[in-house]
Amino acid sequence: MPPIRTSRASKKAPPEGFDDLEDTLLEFANKMKDAENASHEGKKKYETLWPIFQITHQRSRYIYDLYYEKEAISRPLYDWLLKNGYADAALIAKWKKQGYEKLCCVRCIQTKETNFRSTCICRVPREQLKEGQDIQCVNCGCRGCASSD
Amino acid sequence: MADIPTRAAPPPLPLPQGWTEHKAPSGHVYYYNSETKKSTYVRPVATPPTFEPSPPPPLQPVASLGAGSSYNDYNVPTLQPGSDPKQQIENLIFGSAPRQAFQNTRGQDHSRGGFRGGFRGGHNNFSERKRQQEDRPKHRSDIPDCAPWVLVRTKLGRRFVWNKNTNESFWKFPSHVMKAVVEFDRKEREKKERRERGEPSDDEDATAMAEIEAELAAAEDEVQRQIVEVDGDEGMEEDEEYEEVEVTDDEGEEQQHAPKRQRTEEPQQDQPMEMGEDDLAWQLAQMEEMEGGFEEEYEEEPPLSEEDCKALFKELLDDTHVSPYTPWDTVLEKGSLYEDERYKALPNMKTRKDCFDEWAREKAHYLQEQKARQAKVDPRVPYLAFLDRHATPKLYWPEFRRKFKKEAEMKDGKLSDKDKEKLYRDHIKRLGMRSSELKADLTALLRSQTLASLHRSSTIDTLPPSVLTDLRYISLPPSTRNPLIETYISTLPAAPEGAAASAEEEAEAKKKREERKRREKALAERERRVQEEKQKQERDLAYGRGRLREEEMEIERAMRVGKEGLKKQLGEE
Repeated sequence: MPPIRTSRASKKAPPEGFDDLEDTLLEFANKMKDAENASHEGKKKYETLWPIFQITHQRSRYIYDLYYEKEAISRPLYDWLLKNGYADAALIAKWKKQGYEKLCCVRCIQTKETNFRSTCICRVPREQLKEGQDIQCVNCGCRGCASSD
Repeated sequence: MADIPTRAAPPPLPLPQGWTEHKAPSGHVYYYNSETKKSTYVRPVATPPTFEPSPPPPLQPVASLGAGSSYNDYNVPTLQPGSDPKQQIENLIFGSAPRQAFQNTRGQDHSRGGFRGGFRGGHNNFSERKRQQEDRPKHRSDIPDCAPWVLVRTKLGRRFVWNKNTNESFWKFPSHVMKAVVEFDRKEREKKERRERGEPSDDEDATAMAEIEAELAAAEDEVQRQIVEVDGDEGMEEDEEYEEVEVTDDEGEEQQHAPKRQRTEEPQQDQPMEMGEDDLAWQLAQMEEMEGGFEEEYEEEPPLSEEDCKALFKELLDDTHVSPYTPWDTVLEKGSLYEDERYKALPNMKTRKDCFDEWAREKAHYLQEQKARQAKVDPRVPYLAFLDRHATPKLYWPEFRRKFKKEAEMKDGKLSDKDKEKLYRDHIKRLGMRSSELKADLTALLRSQTLASLHRSSTIDTLPPSVLTDLRYISLPPSTRNPLIETYISTLPAAPEGAAASAEEEAEAKKKREERKRREKALAERERRVQEEKQKQERDLAYGRGRLREEEMEIERAMRVGKEGLKKQLGEE
């Protein structure tokens, strides 16, 4: 019987440079914990998940920026972070594509889940919306993430 | 001002019997009849007297000075020795009661003299108004060694001092200002003499300025004359001539008389008094406007380019010791940036964010390089840093080792367990000591460093390993240690020239420092300019208010056209 590989068992020590990001990542973790434990009272059912999405987005963005924009972390560290769930690899993969540079969450471009096979309202550029129309998408509470905004 | 084109005055007609010509200190010529005890600005002609004395309206003093106070007939530039200069100035500028009286009488004249006389009347009125505007600040010069005080010379050659900061002004100079003014006068005199002797003046700027000023004044006069000519178009040639004499006369006058002497002739002005803030302000604004045209040409835009702004902001980030690995939002949340002036160097949040990204990128690279360089050095450095973070007197060595056995520093094989234990025990022992002793030890450690390794351009991040591997360095908590080291570093001289390896770095650092100094200066300059701009706006406001008041007065005057003229005509018929 092969050994069962749990994430805990297979956890390797983080590569060099992790201690630079550790504080910030810890902050994100704390925020995430707070969001998870926050009360749902007074919120709509779909609203409860918004902060989770937002924090995930922020943390992924942070790591994405560090690796691709600022080039401040090494490739092994980046891979380690992705592997250990500090950033959403699927989301980052979308950010690298043209037109998706600011994408809020992968769910918002998932056309198969909508009634008319369309993307989320937050993907609509602001100039194509009606004047003064204020939107917040149901999936993640995004207020608009079109690249042209 | 010598190049003002002046046309010769028309040969004056002889004065009728009993009339004498006088010159008021304000520069105006007036005529006095010793028999009837009347005086007038208008030159009396022998045949038909231009106007009859009508019931004299009560008169306020106009800017007439020097004559006896007993002349209070109408149209007379009377003098009241006690009247304050403020009143005078106001009268001069806004032309109040006496003008109306004057106008009314001219109105009579109009009725009698027909078209011709009427024009004359109107024309005189114009000249009157212009004359009233004439006493105003003309030239402003900073008094050397007497910072906020400014010596202002009015168009009529009178002088007063004005405090830029408190906005006070005095005809009588305060004693400390007096000294400076005397000194200033002496210098001016010397300069003038030298110029007359044909020697080159030592400061070309001043002469250049003076020339420009003269040109400007000439241009202004030209404009005024044009106005006059346009106005007097339909009138007679001689009227025009008269007008011109009026205009240019004052200019000549000013040159002939030493301003100082002129001043002493006016007894009232020696009384210390304050002018109305607003009046003064708008006069000064007027003056500023006059000068402003060419002043701006001289004033260069302070050299604060976009790169400089960015660099300033980056320096701010450097100074706040933000980690380049923190996200921008977190940096903002900390709020340590807002208080600094350099935060405002960049115009908006987007540029700031971009700048931060750029800075973080550079900084991260720099730190990586540093780390790569330091990776070869002593394994004790990370171990001691680790001890600095986690060691506590509450734990014995075995407990500590057990608790932190998974940490990389504890697992590090380069340093033997024996050494680790020894360092830990020593460190814990030192933690029990008094902080003053620890501080003394730290200074001793820093003192023992060579200048090549520790000098002014070193920072907390780039301390030499000889410091980092010493227990005395970590004995103090970072919150007290870092400021101590920073202050010590700031007292150090720059690295010696002999350090051949770091010579280039040194030069670079020096260049950076110079750049930084320049940018900070530029920022301060910008602040100052903003302040100045604000002041100027205030002055403009005051000026506008003054103008408004003047216009209101004028309208009021215009509205008060009496029916005397009509009545008179009816009566005559």
